[in-house]
Amino acid sequence: MANKADLSIEYLGVKCENPFFLSSSPVGGCYDMVAKAYESGWGGVFFKTVGRFIADECSPRFDNNGKEQTPWIGFKNMEQISDKPLEDNLQAIHRLKRDYPDKIMVATIMGSTDEEWKELSELVTQAGADLIECNFSCPQMTSHAMGSDVGQSPELVRQYSRAVSSATKLPVIAKMTPNIGNMEVPAIAAIEGGAKGVSAINTIKSITNINLEHMTAMPVVNGKSSISGYSGAAVKPIGLRFIAQMKQHPLLKDVQLSGIGGIETWRDALEYILVGSHNLQVTTAVMQYGYRIVEDMASGLAYYMEEHGFQKVEDMVGLALPNIIPAEELDRNFKVIVKIDHEKCIGCGRCYVSCFDAAHQAINWDFEKRRPSVNDECVGCHLCLNVCPVPDCIEPGEIQYKDESKRIPKDIAFQTRYE
Amino acid sequence: MSKVTSKNQLQGKEIERDYLDEAVHGYNLRTAMEEAARCVLCYDAPCSKGCPSNTRPADFIRSIRFRNLKGAAAIIREANALGGCTAKVCPYDRMCEEACSRTGIDRPIQIGRLQAFAVAMEREYNMDVLKAPKADKEKVACIGSGPASLTVAQRLALGGYQVTIFEEFDKAGGVLTYGIIPPRLPQDVVDYDIKKIKDLGVEFVMNTKVGRDVTIEQLKEKGYKAFFIGTGLWKSKEVDVKGTELQGVTYAVDFLKKARSANGDWKIDGEVIVIGGGDVAMDCAATAKLLGAERVTIVYRRTIQEAPADIAELEYVQALGVSIFTKFKPQEIVGENGKVTGLIAEGTDDFSQLKLKANHIIFAIGQDAEDMNKIAPVELNPNGTIACDINKGFTNIDGIFAAGDIVNGGKTVNEAVAAGKAVAESIIKYLTKKEGVN
Repeated sequence: MANKADLSIEYLGVKCENPFFLSSSPVGGCYDMVAKAYESGWGGVFFKTVGRFIADECSPRFDNNGKEQTPWIGFKNMEQISDKPLEDNLQAIHRLKRDYPDKIMVATIMGSTDEEWKELSELVTQAGADLIECNFSCPQMTSHAMGSDVGQSPELVRQYSRAVSSATKLPVIAKMTPNIGNMEVPAIAAIEGGAKGVSAINTIKSITNINLEHMTAMPVVNGKSSISGYSGAAVKPIGLRFIAQMKQHPLLKDVQLSGIGGIETWRDALEYILVGSHNLQVTTAVMQYGYRIVEDMASGLAYYMEEHGFQKVEDMVGLALPNIIPAEELDRNFKVIVKIDHEKCIGCGRCYVSCFDAAHQAINWDFEKRRPSVNDECVGCHLCLNVCPVPDCIEPGEIQYKDESKRIPKDIAFQTRYE
Repeated sequence: MSKVTSKNQLQGKEIERDYLDEAVHGYNLRTAMEEAARCVLCYDAPCSKGCPSNTRPADFIRSIRFRNLKGAAAIIREANALGGCTAKVCPYDRMCEEACSRTGIDRPIQIGRLQAFAVAMEREYNMDVLKAPKADKEKVACIGSGPASLTVAQRLALGGYQVTIFEEFDKAGGVLTYGIIPPRLPQDVVDYDIKKIKDLGVEFVMNTKVGRDVTIEQLKEKGYKAFFIGTGLWKSKEVDVKGTELQGVTYAVDFLKKARSANGDWKIDGEVIVIGGGDVAMDCAATAKLLGAERVTIVYRRTIQEAPADIAELEYVQALGVSIFTKFKPQEIVGENGKVTGLIAEGTDDFSQLKLKANHIIFAIGQDAEDMNKIAPVELNPNGTIACDINKGFTNIDGIFAAGDIVNGGKTVNEAVAAGKAVAESIIKYLTKKEGVN
């Protein structure tokens, strides 16, 4: 971990030593946890959501689903907001800020009326928080006046954002639910209400697995179960999409976003930065592996910046956005035919099976030599590259233009690699 | 007995050091899924083509991969009467795993261990994969209860024939029960495969040697219409070395059978030398070591590369602390007061000399056929095996068939199963045709 590059970045005017924060969740719910997280290298913490509501939790409350030998591709969590008295949480926030003045403390709050939101806003400001996040998005609250039901209503989001902002001098962040078609709508409502930043995504309403013996979902709570929030690596593509779409909206392009959803490695973190996040939040990977994962996030990101000559994290924010365009604007005048390296090929035939059963019957199979070959039917879809188990065995090859006269006189960046 | 484990150099597998314990631990659901996920799920899979008995590894691995464990177990049981045993004793490195495409990336899928896992699931789920129809067809006698015979019996029972197995010893299984050692093949695995055959209605008559206790003519009188000879090779090859008459000199077949019959309750003292380089020699060395021998040494006349033993077996005995001298052949066994005291061996380079202390010397240099003409006047090869078409099993005598070691001169369990499957088809055709003529 030799690389100690400067990863600092300002988020909503607050200087953060790095963009890696814990999200408001089971991983940051008391003094000892947050203190350990700070000392492990996290730049800040979104403290587990506090409110007048005190959660009464079920047991068990988690489940995970996997694929092949990888468990925890996705994770289901039924915990609600803090199950501790508000006063205890306020005291913890206060002590943490006192003991770790250089670390960032974001107080995440959740109320059910204007008055409650205002009261919470004042209390956490007094406790010493640097920023306030409004949780409009927890999908497993036992009260429908709270959580993602609120986040789905732009009116309530605007109203509560206004209530919270009116009661504090701190910048306010609105945390969005992904259980909605267009996140831009509630996000704009939050900004109209006075919020300065938006964080996304909270968890996705889910049923991870059905228990085939008990005929209910997992986890089984005395014979029953409930729909609740899904997170982890599986949701990263959805989180990236929401962040990119918000950041590309004219009314939101200058709003600083905090990216959440399936971040485990520095690469995941960087991807969120490249689609427009100034700040990053992590929970599921910490639940699985612990606070220590931040070491490789920081080190890996620093190496990438060194390799690519970036001086500041800020300089990378949103760099992928100009290249994410509507489908109708893509250049469709060519196809990249694949080439297969018969030396690297192990003769498994997976490309042949997938091409025949799911693509264009463009690969022939030599039963004697156990080798595939590409025929004239190839459309350049690259399904074969995706299924091939051998690195660099199938690669993009010849570029064929559909209309030579419309050929764009520049190189096509076609070198897609599947690791 | 104390249980000591040590790391094998190969793939970090833990080895149990107890005669009755299986050497390598089996998979659990999670580790089996991990291994199945390594499989690249080939088209026209080479592993299945590499299996002589056509146990369809590609298909049962895919079933495991897609969480159809019962389906995996059913594929194996339908394809291979000895699915549990072959999972343990197949020389994968020369069969399915040698063919595995994954080898092109790193190392082959551990197909045998996955097969063992699927068979373990069959037991756990109390599955009855096979159902025999009412046995209303002809009576068939199988002579011997080893791999070939068991396979023929299973196939014929599934075809509705009345099958009886005649076995010389008091337990069924032949080489599975009396030859291969428990660390490689636990007895309960053998017994389970045999139980699955018994459940199909096959009758087992024990302690009955055909040709000695009962004749084929007598069996014909009792209504048997076809005979299958699958007796295996149980006569030790003659050794032409001075001193073989000394007490302490023994032959692999007798040594392994005694150890297996004692069920581990046999203490071997002192220094043991095993002569030979095949799996049987490795089994003898491992047995001697696990039963308490102070030092076990293998003396083999060729190189390690030429040794017919599986790499896994060679590594196993070395992990147990057995040393191997190659390119030495026994010259003389020396002794005192009628007991063995040592071995003198000479190098095949005509220079090296070896003089080793020994209390026991075990010859594991191969087995020959017993006199098959005591059973029936079938045509024999010069080495005493039965002359017949390996793929069809017809002997020169109408209604008498043969397969397994007694025909091929001693090959693998898997190949005996393969031959058993093929010969069962021949027997069914023979009996069907005969019925048509009548």
